[in-house]
Amino acid sequence: MEKPLELSRYCVPFTPFTKALEESLICLVTTAAVRAKSDPPFNVEGDNSFRRIDSSLSTADLAYDDAHYDHACVDRDLNCVFPADRLAALAREGRIAGVTAEHFSMGYSQALRELRETTVPQIARAVSAVRPDAVLLTGG
Amino acid sequence: MVTVQRAIEMLGVPTVLITVEPEESAQARPPRALCPRGFIAGHSLGRPDDEALQKWIVMDALGLLRETPRPGEVVHRDYT
Repeated sequence: MEKPLELSRYCVPFTPFTKALEESLICLVTTAAVRAKSDPPFNVEGDNSFRRIDSSLSTADLAYDDAHYDHACVDRDLNCVFPADRLAALAREGRIAGVTAEHFSMGYSQALRELRETTVPQIARAVSAVRPDAVLLTGG
Repeated sequence: MVTVQRAIEMLGVPTVLITVEPEESAQARPPRALCPRGFIAGHSLGRPDDEALQKWIVMDALGLLRETPRPGEVVHRDYT
């Protein structure tokens, strides 16, 4: 596979946002190891795969697999790291146009080189393919 | 996280990050980032079941898309 284009970290890639939020489809991307309950779990010790999350699912249909951030909040309300229900509510209120058909999650990994060379380009292409007007990213 | 953000931005999609590790995120030079001051990992959007606060933070983050660009910086805001 062709190696992804890399920038010096001193350069900042920047795509202007020209639409109104009320006309924009938003995609959610997290590293908090979130998935549909029906999907296979992430390996909490290290996992370079990512999951697609059907955006019609509410957080009640989702789970997380993590051993690296504080769980007091997410055990009660997954919106603390993955605000899918909040984006759905903002869409109902007309403050955004809606959400993309899928959201995305990565797991915890220390295999940084593989992440950078394989997982990150894959997930970036998958995100771009669902045609978001903008992407909101959250960590754990 | 910023690595993913930068890769998506390079494909021509505007992005904004909510981070609770602002020093680490700033080092990686995010296109746009919001740090809700005082929050910790696992609580990026604040308190559980506080829909109003979580929507406020989400809208503030999305609002950075429309503000004067400050690429590479993390914008800090208070939510108390």
